[in-house]
Amino acid sequence: MIAITPATVLRRRSDVRYRRIEGEAVVLRQSAAEVLVLNEVGASVLDLADGERSVGEWIDALAEEYEGNSITLARDVLAFAAELAEAGLLEPVAGRSEP
Amino acid sequence: MSFGAGFLRHPDLFPARRAGEPWGDRALALDVAGGPYLLSGLTTAQEEALRRRFGSLCGPAEANGTATQVFRAPATDFLAIDTRGWEYTLDLDPAPDALQVAGLHLMARLGWTPALAGALWTPEPAGEEWTSVCENYLRLLTAYRLLEEGGALLHSAGVSDGEWAWLLLGPSGAGKTTASRLCLEGGGTVLSDDLNAVLFHEGTARLRKLPFTGDLGERAGGPESVPLRAVLRLAQGEEEGLRPLSPAAALASLVAAAPFVNCDPFRRETLLAVLERLARAVPAWEVTFSREGGLWAMVKTIR
Amino acid sequence: MSLSRVVATAWRENLLFSVLLELTYRCNLDCFFCYNDLALKGEPLSREQYFRLLADLREMEVMNLTLSGGEPLAHPDFLALGARARELGFVVRVKSNGHALRGELARRVRDEIDPFLIEVSLHGATAATHDRQTRVPGSFDRLLANLRELRDLGLRVKLNSTLTRWNEGEIEGMLDLADSLGLPLQVDPEVTPRDDGDREPLQVAPSREGVLRLFRLQFARGRAAEEGAPEVQVARGGDDGTVPTPVHKHCGAGSSGIAIDPFGNVYPCVQWRRPVGNLHQQGIGEIWRGSAGLAEVRELTVQVKERIGAEGPGSHLLNFCPGSAAAHAGSPLALYPAAVQRREALEQVMEEERKTLLPVVR
Repeated sequence: MIAITPATVLRRRSDVRYRRIEGEAVVLRQSAAEVLVLNEVGASVLDLADGERSVGEWIDALAEEYEGNSITLARDVLAFAAELAEAGLLEPVAGRSEP
Repeated sequence: MSFGAGFLRHPDLFPARRAGEPWGDRALALDVAGGPYLLSGLTTAQEEALRRRFGSLCGPAEANGTATQVFRAPATDFLAIDTRGWEYTLDLDPAPDALQVAGLHLMARLGWTPALAGALWTPEPAGEEWTSVCENYLRLLTAYRLLEEGGALLHSAGVSDGEWAWLLLGPSGAGKTTASRLCLEGGGTVLSDDLNAVLFHEGTARLRKLPFTGDLGERAGGPESVPLRAVLRLAQGEEEGLRPLSPAAALASLVAAAPFVNCDPFRRETLLAVLERLARAVPAWEVTFSREGGLWAMVKTIR
Repeated sequence: MSLSRVVATAWRENLLFSVLLELTYRCNLDCFFCYNDLALKGEPLSREQYFRLLADLREMEVMNLTLSGGEPLAHPDFLALGARARELGFVVRVKSNGHALRGELARRVRDEIDPFLIEVSLHGATAATHDRQTRVPGSFDRLLANLRELRDLGLRVKLNSTLTRWNEGEIEGMLDLADSLGLPLQVDPEVTPRDDGDREPLQVAPSREGVLRLFRLQFARGRAAEEGAPEVQVARGGDDGTVPTPVHKHCGAGSSGIAIDPFGNVYPCVQWRRPVGNLHQQGIGEIWRGSAGLAEVRELTVQVKERIGAEGPGSHLLNFCPGSAAAHAGSPLALYPAAVQRREALEQVMEEERKTLLPVVR
């Protein structure tokens, strides 16, 4: 399990292809020929995982978008990021994670 | 070297069927021996270039004839070739019912399904490059069509006195253009100094004029079709003279002078039959001539 | 959340999801039963028009992009278009005959396009049969060598085959061959008329016995699948073989998918050659939203659903394709012999299966 903190910088793996359909994301991992459907937050996380912004920055961006309880949101996003990394959709960017 | 490798970047992608993206929707018919030849899929510029090149031989594409579709090919399909001091030979890949052809900016295939039809792929949209590609293709197509008609395309100079014609055979450099000039100067006419068509009409071998010429260029006027009097193999030398050729030697010279089809093992028997008929129909001589001499006077004595 | 629900949404809401581009009708093989309309004429789409199309499709959130032909590799901009498609994040499939997929070209396809899948046609288990169908001597041996090379390059390859009278006796051999190469093989039991209506390909349509034999094999291998044998599927119409949850349309033709020919003509599906627009006249977005032809097609897929539903239980065994119906019988609503034959064969094989599986009282 990859340890995800707000400082972690993640990016989509190169074999990940996805599109947004009615808010959701249809995701294909080409190497595994595996299709997943993610909800709206999941779709936004995929958009945010550009290898530039840290998970902390995602949380800030999503908090603005969804105006939810930021503590719950932070917990959910961290868990979600870990899940997507575990599923092989995201990978940490070496040397980019903030101290 | 495998087929096409000398001209094409991806010989593996050579078209196996007569299909692709046509250049345009124009078409015309060419009234050339063995024709008419219908060319379709042309742009207006390609059509106009052919009309300039072939003039009154061009007609509307209504008649039945041997059809060729012209398709686009990307310039990137072709290797860059330095043509300085280079002798251009088309790369042919014959099969029982098809022929694949690769050359400078041209890919072509002829197919017998069962009638002969062709396709030409080129990146040339207009201009002299286009007419040159098209003429090279037509030379080849004519060779195959004439063979189907029981005739032959012969690498030769065709000279005539208006009543009879003589066929002067010889490879490049043997003096076909020089001999043609000498005959012209002597008062004869020249059908072509490079490629002539031989066809049998009511049992008689006749020479037909083709718009495919060598250095002498196209000759306006003159006869279109003349009965053939003799086949002459050119030789240059000090002593002018005529020497009869055996039928076997004549046949060998004729086979050597029948471009394209003489490399096709699937048409060899047909070609031999046609040329043997020709060798039996008219006498054959070897003619030795000099640049200063009276070639034409000598030729005319062969009757 | 399931994919089938997303696909159903795309069908219902007319969300374009899958696009097939026939880049060229040039081909380095000459398959006897090829469906391409080789007499079709027009102005081919330029590289710039293709780039604009891809950008528009990205904007429309299209996911699947299939590059087909003819032989798509023969298109001058194949690599450039594939690379642009990758850059725009499409799931790219390449339908190729595989004849030229070797050496530098194969490597460049992998490195520059990174396709999700290359779909290659296998025509027989022997050179005699394969080459008879492709009408290019040596194409079978070349294909086998190329398939091994593609596999070693790490490209994902799937074999497609059309069952014909000529190869129906070699289906076991073809499946074994696919197994030995470690590649999935999908067999389509239907030969269709050409896109111009020419019925010549039907001369090699498989026999009833051939179709039965294929289905028996597929059922048998379905049982063996648990033991790890590669899966074999019957080709399905509609959207990438995905079976959606119930919706009011029979398939996604014109609702979630389209096909575009080399001259910019837009069709609801590669099988259904009913032009609904042309990219020389309109952009794809405009066609997608405003084409009267597409609106008719979408309405027709609703009618097809009702029409086929009326065939009662087992109607799904027809694997009915409105495009095939239009080609075979002149109407997208007409039952055509190949579909009826398919249902009968499937029913027969299912009955045989039932008898095999039920305990017999002695």
